[in-house]
Amino acid sequence: MTQLTAVSGANRPIVSLTDVIKTYTLGKVEVPALRGLSLDVYPGEFISIAGPSGSGKTTALNLIGCVDTASSGVVSVDGQDTKTLSERQLTDLRLHTIGFIFQSFNLVSVLSVYQNVEFPLLLQRKLNPKEREQRVMTLLEQVGLDKHVKHRPNELSGGQRQRVAVARALVTRPKLVLADEPTANLDSVTGQNIIDLMKELNRKEGTTFIFSTHDAKVMNHANAVVRLADGKILDRITPAEAQKAMAAGAEGH
Amino acid sequence: MFQLLLIALRNLASHKRRTLLLGGAIAGVTGLLVILMGLSNGIQTTTVETATTLMTGHVNVAGFFKVTAGQSAPVVTAIPALQQQLLQEVPELDYMVQRGRGYSKVVSDTSSMDLVLGGVDIQNETGFRKALMLREGRMEDLEQPNTLLLFEEQAKKLEVKVGDTVTLSSPTMRGTSNTVDVRVAAIAANVGMLSSVYCYLPNSTLRALYQMRDDATGALHLYLKDTADVPAVQARLMKRLPELGHKVLDHNPNPFFMKFETVNREAWTGQRLDITNWEDEISFITWSVKALNGLTVGLLVLLLIIISVGVMNTLWIAIRERTREIGTLRAIGMQRGWVVLMFLFEAFMLALFGTLSGALLGLAVCLGLNAAHITMPMAVQLIIMSEQLRFAVSPVAVAGSIFIITFCTTLVSLIPSFLAARMKPVTAMHHIG
Repeated sequence: MTQLTAVSGANRPIVSLTDVIKTYTLGKVEVPALRGLSLDVYPGEFISIAGPSGSGKTTALNLIGCVDTASSGVVSVDGQDTKTLSERQLTDLRLHTIGFIFQSFNLVSVLSVYQNVEFPLLLQRKLNPKEREQRVMTLLEQVGLDKHVKHRPNELSGGQRQRVAVARALVTRPKLVLADEPTANLDSVTGQNIIDLMKELNRKEGTTFIFSTHDAKVMNHANAVVRLADGKILDRITPAEAQKAMAAGAEGH
Repeated sequence: MFQLLLIALRNLASHKRRTLLLGGAIAGVTGLLVILMGLSNGIQTTTVETATTLMTGHVNVAGFFKVTAGQSAPVVTAIPALQQQLLQEVPELDYMVQRGRGYSKVVSDTSSMDLVLGGVDIQNETGFRKALMLREGRMEDLEQPNTLLLFEEQAKKLEVKVGDTVTLSSPTMRGTSNTVDVRVAAIAANVGMLSSVYCYLPNSTLRALYQMRDDATGALHLYLKDTADVPAVQARLMKRLPELGHKVLDHNPNPFFMKFETVNREAWTGQRLDITNWEDEISFITWSVKALNGLTVGLLVLLLIIISVGVMNTLWIAIRERTREIGTLRAIGMQRGWVVLMFLFEAFMLALFGTLSGALLGLAVCLGLNAAHITMPMAVQLIIMSEQLRFAVSPVAVAGSIFIITFCTTLVSLIPSFLAARMKPVTAMHHIG
């Protein structure tokens, strides 16, 4: 198998994990989730993290997204060691550098489509109302929801909600977008549309995407697939190799 | 900020039942508070209006005259000179009236009772007609000597009506007993506890009863332009009148008829002035206002505790239900302070909605009850100092209750809000429940 490293010309990785260990304590039992994970992701990459349930995909994304902290090791995002940052700085890093797309969409139910997408911009307080409106509407047009701006999330289909979530993740023009199983709650066609949308934005804007998935079809769109097992990186391979490996695994069973 | 307000408002709207229940409870507490304060204020206003017309000025220059050490009369002598001095010393003065003071046994054909006598020159007492509602007779008849105004309760007990004669029997300044026959000229509606203590007669009749000279009276009632000046005027007179050659008793915050025992025990003879304010003179009846105020404060504290627990519980539930949302908002870059603010807004708006509707409700109840002119039983009349329930809702008090309840409700919501904000985003996002 081909061990893929940097695909981008950039020198400095946007995400760098070095010997990261994460252990959860459940009562008196310690459950290891990551056991010495090292990974570099460069700007503009479109990377899939694959692996069975419990392999550590979500934990890795949480650490990269600065919503959780490692038990040991170094997690560096956009050149900053997250362990050295205060809670306020971590929140600022999430706000200005990272966009999140969640498996269950996680939209604010009482806000409209427009307000959900606008929300991170309001938190940033960088743009004036006119610029904000322009930015939000452009994105909503891109994701095909410009006719649904006043709808509440419960008035939308699953695919539409995920597209709102994509727009919300991208509205701040983050350097890095993390997507945890973004297609898991969608039918295959809608899931494909979402991946196509992410891919297009990756190509046009150069935004780095790291997403976790079980789905081989989704993996196909990635530049590289990082396979995890038992909290460790198994390998970093091409999507084609990942397909083969999955097929072989299925036959083996 | 607007977005946070919107989230808070829409969350309240999306949980209609909970919002209505808790908002209703807050409204109930506020409404009750407004009604209680209206009642308390109504009693206070009635008491002050009635008492400052019928039995005391804002400031009183009264006194006791003792021929022998153990025998005192509520008399001030050499009034014209004293009046001149007061006019000079009290620029805040609106007007001044002479009010005779006495204490007498009132004897009818079938019964008798001890009453405090108030000597009035009815033609100068314009407030009298406003403060008293006559059931029988005419106020003007009190201009004639040897007449008497009784209250309904007294007339009933003495079994007399207008035109009947009763005998007043009092000890004079010289220590002998004197009697005067007076005709009942008017019977007024009861005005609370005052009705069982006071009756009124012309100053000339009171002087005759006490065998006093024309330049003597019971007290000079000073009515000020602004009642806020009362403490300053009282303090000034306490200082200046001794400097002007008068002997002044130490301040004793009680009505004059409760001071006889103390004054009689003292060794001095002659004239001593007694300077009091309206609160001193009605201290024996203001207990009801104080008790009601105490009850209001106690009830407020109790209700605030109940409401606070309710608000905290509701916010706990709201936070539990929205833990994932908090996690998401924190993940996308909302600082902890904003999370706190979001829940504070929610509690604030709930409290504001509750207190505003409660205040309006309380106000409507007060206005309705005022309009209904409900006559209260005698036992209640004694407490409320009026025949009818009267609610005087002060805008400042209403604003105060809205502020206090809203503030306290918002304040207690800080605890769950802080705890919500302290949650790790990842823990919050994966919360189940």
